[in-house]
Amino acid sequence: MSLIRVDNMVKHFPVRGGVLNRIVGKVHAVNGVSFRIDEGEVLGVVGESGCGKSTLGKLIIRLIESTSGEVHYDGTEITHLGHNDMLPFRRRMQIVFQDPYSSLNPRLTVNALLKEAIVFHSIVPPSEVESHIDKLMAKVGLRPDQKNRFPHEFSGGQRQRIGIARALALNPDFIVADEPVSALDVSIQAQVLNLMMDLKDELGLTLLFISHDLKVIEHFCDRVLVMYLGYVVEEMNCLDIHGEARHPYTQALLGANPVNDPDEDRELTVLEGDVPSPFSPPKGCPFVTRCPLVESRCHEEMPPLVEKTKGHRVACWAVE
Amino acid sequence: MILKALRSRGARKFRQNRLAMFALGVISVYGVVALLVALGGIRLEETFERVSRNSIPGAWGSQTSEKRVNDAEEYLEEIESALDNEEHLEYRFAERKLVDLPVEELVERVEESWEIWDELADVSNVDEHPELLVKLDEVEERIDALFAPLEGVDGWMYAFRTYLGTDRQGRSITVRAVYSIKLAIQVGFIVALAATLLGTLLGAAAGFFGGWIDGLVIWLYSTFSAIPVLIMLMVLVTIFIDTPYEGTLVPLYVSMMLTFWIGPCRVIRGEVLKLKELEYVQAATSIGFGRFYILVKHLIPNTSHLMFINFSLLFIGAIKNEVILTFLNLGVKNQPSWGTMINQSRQEVINGFFWQIGAATALMFGLVWAFNIVSDALQDSFDPKHVS
Repeated sequence: MSLIRVDNMVKHFPVRGGVLNRIVGKVHAVNGVSFRIDEGEVLGVVGESGCGKSTLGKLIIRLIESTSGEVHYDGTEITHLGHNDMLPFRRRMQIVFQDPYSSLNPRLTVNALLKEAIVFHSIVPPSEVESHIDKLMAKVGLRPDQKNRFPHEFSGGQRQRIGIARALALNPDFIVADEPVSALDVSIQAQVLNLMMDLKDELGLTLLFISHDLKVIEHFCDRVLVMYLGYVVEEMNCLDIHGEARHPYTQALLGANPVNDPDEDRELTVLEGDVPSPFSPPKGCPFVTRCPLVESRCHEEMPPLVEKTKGHRVACWAVE
Repeated sequence: MILKALRSRGARKFRQNRLAMFALGVISVYGVVALLVALGGIRLEETFERVSRNSIPGAWGSQTSEKRVNDAEEYLEEIESALDNEEHLEYRFAERKLVDLPVEELVERVEESWEIWDELADVSNVDEHPELLVKLDEVEERIDALFAPLEGVDGWMYAFRTYLGTDRQGRSITVRAVYSIKLAIQVGFIVALAATLLGTLLGAAAGFFGGWIDGLVIWLYSTFSAIPVLIMLMVLVTIFIDTPYEGTLVPLYVSMMLTFWIGPCRVIRGEVLKLKELEYVQAATSIGFGRFYILVKHLIPNTSHLMFINFSLLFIGAIKNEVILTFLNLGVKNQPSWGTMINQSRQEVINGFFWQIGAATALMFGLVWAFNIVSDALQDSFDPKHVS
């Protein structure tokens, strides 16, 4: 049974300009994305900067309101719920941010920021709040006696642990991890990833794991969505990623990933040019400007995301 | 939170700024004086009392012999008429009473003084005759001796009151200038606090909620800031004419608050626009907090450094504009203020008497200078991005 079902999610940011501040255009951040996440599953989302992966994560937990499309959470359609109706779902869905420096209010101690959330949702009776906070601190690998410190007294890795503790404070089922390790040192990345993996197993969490690093995705996820310019271009199991990747963009991403063995003979697909502006995306397939396999049909029509083999969907005319 | 602010990097930087610490010391001295005045150190009535002859210069000044001759004449006439009417026991000149001697003795002494004075009376240029100057000194000594000597605290008080001379009504410039410190700090504090709070609330609401609220606030402050500050203040103060509040501090408070909120409003709006995109605000949204709670709990506290800086800037503005409005007869009445003093000294300056305008501007300069230094240092320490 899938915990989350996203149907045809679209987000266009209006661009205003001119003397009258009219809407002169829109940025196509997310263009009709559909997928499911099963309970206990980790779904990775990978793509270049600006491909809409963070926007997608925020759309699901409604930090951004969608232009159209639906999110079904545990069978309930949540995109049109009011503030109060949304609260129980807010509790069940949390987010861990990329930048551990801007994601913590500099004026609140760790204790204050955890307490605020716990008390607001009455997670535990008032008498147990303090011990709940101590448990959370221990869970993310911080000492409970550090809880009265301010964020600036911690290192980047510790701050990210605080961010994780804040997300866990509400006992959520689902966490959007928005590039949780990309701002950290490599040595710390592994620690934080392992922590998240342990917590996921321990608490049975479902995760949407956003990253631009295929290695991290491979290490961490069950399934992966490859996004390009607001479209999902390929969806597959993480185990298949090396042998089975079919979409030329996915292959290019894999090719751009460094390999440990300098002697390995690899066929490299190097992409030319930049991602087209999401303000005026190309007609037809979004990848048409950089695709090595481009054919005339690609300029006319967006290829649909079709299931090629079981659990493996690709959006490309050239892939049979 | 205050303790944390004191330990922060900005505070450390501020403390290392020696000039700013000195200026802070100056402000503290002013603050202490204002507090003492407010606690009754100087009563309002004292600022209207005569302490000596009119327009006498301060301790290190000199006056023309012509004026000295005139003052001696006035003294002797007053004492003489008191003696003639047998009121000499009640006679006081600025709390000084006559020496405790029999009336005949006093009359005799006055007669002797008149005799010496007569020699000076008809001479137009006493200064050119050294022997007459000696006589003038003698007359003054004799007159002084007619009064009971001031001893101990009274002596100190008299010296303090006449230290910077007297105005044209014989009132102490020192007392009036020092009393005005309290008024200046009171106006500065209340206006700066009210305007900063008003500006912060409007600016934060505009930046955070956007939409029509933002449009309204921007429209308001653009309109207000298009009007020159002084003209705006004068118009607003004029509204209170012929109401019971005329001449009190209320028109000053209201007009300055309505004019000065623009500065903090614009700055805080910009800061909130920036802060509201930060991830801790999104995290608070994802927890489910209401927008108002997020604004009050997570955004406004993070603009406190800007509130602080704006407060000290407005403090100066309020003091200066109180003086300007009072000078223009639109401000406080019936109590001393640096503005009143400067206004009164217009006539004195023509006659070459600079003590009153000097005292008022020097004290105002000290306070405004110190606040300027402190605001600059605050800005350097807490808001390094700001270039002013």
